[in-house]
Amino acid sequence: MRLMTAFELKNIVKSFGGVRALKGVDLQIESGRTHVLLGENGAGKSTLIKILTGALTPDDGTILIDGEACALRNPEHAQAMGIAAVYQEPLIYPHLSVLENIFMGREIAGPLGYVRRDAMRAAVRPVLTELELPETLLSRPMSSLSLGYQQLVLIAKALVQNARLIIFDEPTSILSRAESQRLFSIIGRLRDGGRAIVYITHRLEEVPQIGDRVTVLTDGQVTGAYGAGEFSETTLLELMAGKKSREIEKEIEAHRDIAADAVEHPVLAVENLSHESYFDDVTWRLPGGIITGIYGLVGSGRSEVALSVFGFLKPSGGRILLDGRPVAPADPAEAIALGIGYLPEDRKLQGIFATKPLESNLTSNRLGGFARTLGLLDFKSLFDDARRVMARYNIKAQSTRTMISTLSGGNQQKGLFARWAGKPFKVLILDEPTRGIDVRTKDEIHDFIRDLAAQGVAVVVISSDLKEVLSVSDRIIVMREGRVVDEVAGDGMTPERVLGSALGAGKAAA
Amino acid sequence: MGATGFQPGRIVLLVALTALALIGFASGDPGILSGANLYSMAVFAVEIGIIAFGQTLVICGGDGGIDLSVGAIAALAQVLMGLALQAGIFWPASVLIAVVAGIVMGAVNGVLVTRFRIEPIITTLATMFVFDGLALVLTGGINIDLTTMPQTFLDLGQGSALGLPFQLLCVYLPAFLILIALQHRTHFGRSLYLVGTNTLSARLTGIRVDRLRAWTYVIAGLLSGLAGAIGAARLGTASPTADEQANLISIAIVVLGGSSIFGGDGSVVGTAVATVLIGVVNYGLSYNDFNPIYQAGVMGIILIAAVLIENLASGRNWAAMPFFSRRGPTAIPRKESSG
Amino acid sequence: MSFQAGARPDQIARPVAARGWLERAVRFAKGREGVLLITLFLLVIVISIGSHGAFWAPVNLNNLMVSAAVTAIPAIGMTLVILTGGIDVSIGSMLGLVAAIGGKFFEAGWSIPVVAPLFCLIGAAFGLVNAAIIIGGRVPPVVATLGTLSIFRMSVFLVLGANWITMIPPELTVIFISDRVWFLPVASVMALVLMAAFAFFLRSFRLGRHIYAIGNNEEAARLAGIPVGRIKLYAYTLLGMFTGVAALLTLGQSPLVQTSTGTGFELGVIAAVVLGGTELSGGRGTILGTLLGTLIVELVNDGVVLMHIQPFWGGVLLGGIILLSIGINQRWPGRGSKAAE
Repeated sequence: MRLMTAFELKNIVKSFGGVRALKGVDLQIESGRTHVLLGENGAGKSTLIKILTGALTPDDGTILIDGEACALRNPEHAQAMGIAAVYQEPLIYPHLSVLENIFMGREIAGPLGYVRRDAMRAAVRPVLTELELPETLLSRPMSSLSLGYQQLVLIAKALVQNARLIIFDEPTSILSRAESQRLFSIIGRLRDGGRAIVYITHRLEEVPQIGDRVTVLTDGQVTGAYGAGEFSETTLLELMAGKKSREIEKEIEAHRDIAADAVEHPVLAVENLSHESYFDDVTWRLPGGIITGIYGLVGSGRSEVALSVFGFLKPSGGRILLDGRPVAPADPAEAIALGIGYLPEDRKLQGIFATKPLESNLTSNRLGGFARTLGLLDFKSLFDDARRVMARYNIKAQSTRTMISTLSGGNQQKGLFARWAGKPFKVLILDEPTRGIDVRTKDEIHDFIRDLAAQGVAVVVISSDLKEVLSVSDRIIVMREGRVVDEVAGDGMTPERVLGSALGAGKAAA
Repeated sequence: MGATGFQPGRIVLLVALTALALIGFASGDPGILSGANLYSMAVFAVEIGIIAFGQTLVICGGDGGIDLSVGAIAALAQVLMGLALQAGIFWPASVLIAVVAGIVMGAVNGVLVTRFRIEPIITTLATMFVFDGLALVLTGGINIDLTTMPQTFLDLGQGSALGLPFQLLCVYLPAFLILIALQHRTHFGRSLYLVGTNTLSARLTGIRVDRLRAWTYVIAGLLSGLAGAIGAARLGTASPTADEQANLISIAIVVLGGSSIFGGDGSVVGTAVATVLIGVVNYGLSYNDFNPIYQAGVMGIILIAAVLIENLASGRNWAAMPFFSRRGPTAIPRKESSG
Repeated sequence: MSFQAGARPDQIARPVAARGWLERAVRFAKGREGVLLITLFLLVIVISIGSHGAFWAPVNLNNLMVSAAVTAIPAIGMTLVILTGGIDVSIGSMLGLVAAIGGKFFEAGWSIPVVAPLFCLIGAAFGLVNAAIIIGGRVPPVVATLGTLSIFRMSVFLVLGANWITMIPPELTVIFISDRVWFLPVASVMALVLMAAFAFFLRSFRLGRHIYAIGNNEEAARLAGIPVGRIKLYAYTLLGMFTGVAALLTLGQSPLVQTSTGTGFELGVIAAVVLGGTELSGGRGTILGTLLGTLIVELVNDGVVLMHIQPFWGGVLLGGIILLSIGINQRWPGRGSKAAE
């Protein structure tokens, strides 16, 4: 069988507000092949898919379908061209049946739009057989299915639409091992049936199992492309970490040595903490004056542990010790009163108050501190405080009254950072403190973080950015699939070791 | 200073409209600008104005916050007060009963919304039926005559102080000042804006969202009870069917005053100015012998026009926002995006 | 990472086939419709006993069925509107206005066969006005219809002046209320037929399913090429038309149009729909639920009269039943809307 390059991307460029997410990416996608797209968070994978599915239009470059240039106007157009995507977080109609989720907008209908459910069932039956799904599934409401099953339903939807290219965006990050195996065999069969598959992952151990071709994406560029049998886990790991490792070694001065017994006297200790949905038996010891990096991939449970410490989630087991005393904050307000701070990862959804002025955003977690007689706020000190942190953290805005959403992403993030850094905490957990901002601001925030540690705060930096974790941390805890899998300090903090632990390298071989 | 949700543009617009309305009416009959007429205008606007203050806070809390039961609270509170007065209870204690009853009813709303997580519009629709029904049950549907009560009590709605209506000078304005302070100058008010703007961010910044929201219903209840008491004193009668339309009118005033129906914006100042506009239009129409119902109609036109104009000006897409839904960006933290 | 319920990877919700009839019955009883049906059943028993059988008197049943029909017909339209995630609080005033305009035609001596369709048309036109403001003007539905509520009411005065309309042809009562099909008043038959038709439409026709899709996930519906704006417009217009029908039936019940006609009517309709399990955030609800909700609302009102309780307990009971039935459904896992979204 001659393999056709059915879909081809040529020199795709895409920038967001000056940040170049894709710097000229080439990709050939053949029918009957599984193409693995490998890369760290932020490497540009998501942007690439959005362009392929018509959700974004590239700034430059061309998309060829069957050798002809084709500008994908919108998602509908991409669908019509036979491109379908299965996202991690399924886009569904929760209260409607599985059958309707599959056919919504393209129902089989008779006169007057009478919906022919029997015909739709018949049409979907071969697909169900192919996916080994029972037919009884069709009449269940979508919301009653687990995310894994919802994903399968969306695959069925793609198949019913006769998609020739199915893109899987980190599908296994929400699946159990058994579910993942099942998904792999399904993907294998789809491929054998002549469809093109693009499979995006950062789980290294999956690659040999599923990929016919591997493309490694680093910082918006293709840094390696291999055919079957041309790669091993080690070469891929080196590719992902290697370039970084050289960069990092150049940039970082020697790691600070931490006293060997520092972790024996932590300010905050999380002991055997478990949560029924997110993590198991997690132990973190966070000494004061030291920056502890938490590295782990999406779904590793790192943010959820932090949210539990912060009183937002309720752990199901284990305990949290602050200065040696057990604490169980019932809500974030209580955690803050105890001296625990948390900078959330999602700036827009969990952080800023978009339509409110900068001063409101800067002081939101310590308003009580400005209350005087009768609960009236002392605005002079509130604005003084806002101006102080603005100056201290170099936030560029016209005034404290400027609406925060009008600032640049970097300044918004510095604002959120200042909200937490501007108040004395015993423990400060920073979740993705520099996500999506420019390099200069990143370095600035890293300096601020070191200053905090110098003041004796137990600082935690949660990050998916390997370079960030390695350069800013004094020690690193690595998490994977809801568990702590490694803990390194000093000379042990090499990119290979940290990334390898996080990816579970060597596990697939074992 | 810290007037976060204060909207100067809207307030200027409303003041201009008010002036325009006054000029319009005065050109028809200059007599409307007489002191006596302005006095009457104020008397009529006070009660709904007080109720609208409470509604402002509830709506400001966001996430579908709305109180349809304010009119029913006012009715039940004034009925309870009327019964107390009939039973010979000292009048200040009776007024206190109205206010406390309002607080309790507001607390019921607050608990149902924040503890039982029943959507505000359903909760307050149901409690509206309940409170209204109880008011009717307690009175047998008959108004309680209060004209024989002590004049000091009736002065609550009929008296005057320093040449102004007593309830305007001694209830409305103090309430207004306190609420301005509460909304713009206290921990509570500032936090409420943040809650209405982004519930999840607010929770993660250490604000006790549910507690705050529950309080807004309590305050709305208190103010409605107070308005009920004043209304009964003004008319010399406690009626179980008083303030039937107060829920809709108060919401209209609040939105007209610049509050976003989705929360997090607007101010009692805007509400007060909108109340003045409505008061002027109402009185002007009835002064010119129009049936009072035209007042409501004109208010409806102003309400829709105000929002339409704002939409056209800002290009903001309301249609994309789910109505009163708990989904949407503030409900659940989304998963990390990758790549 | 996700904070959604049921996110634990290894807890797979396995598809389960419905087994015996007993299990199905239990599942139904636990659902919203089941709770309502049981409530309805209990109410009938209580009222039968409490009224010493007066409930079953033909006159009472007749009145009950007619007033249920008057609420039920616009409740169909309201269900559609709420399913799309909207709401319309203006229909009480709209009913008054349609009745006033239609009444004028009766006064002018026009005959019922001519005026009756006019009621529908006028109502549809007013529904279209709401739709235009909401969809075209991008005004939030509650604000828009709050505005038209006042405007329609004002217009009633403009139409009526200081007078009442009493010249309603008595045949109207005969046709819709007194005449029967088998043992049912014509109005009730109309309501039942419309409900059956719309239940069928919502369940089995593309447009009906698209209404649900919009309420479930408007963004996804848009992406799937569903004409969201147009479908919403249909819903509001239909609600207007059915409000016109209700106006006609109201005149059959009592041949009088006054300025307060229809005041507060919207609350009963919304209460019936909400009680019937339609979620205000849209995307979930059935006509059967609305029917049951309507019957409960009307039964409570009727029962209170029959049992010689002060009629004012009606509101208290209604409010209590709304809170209870929603509270009950809220607690069952997977039932409450909060868990699923």
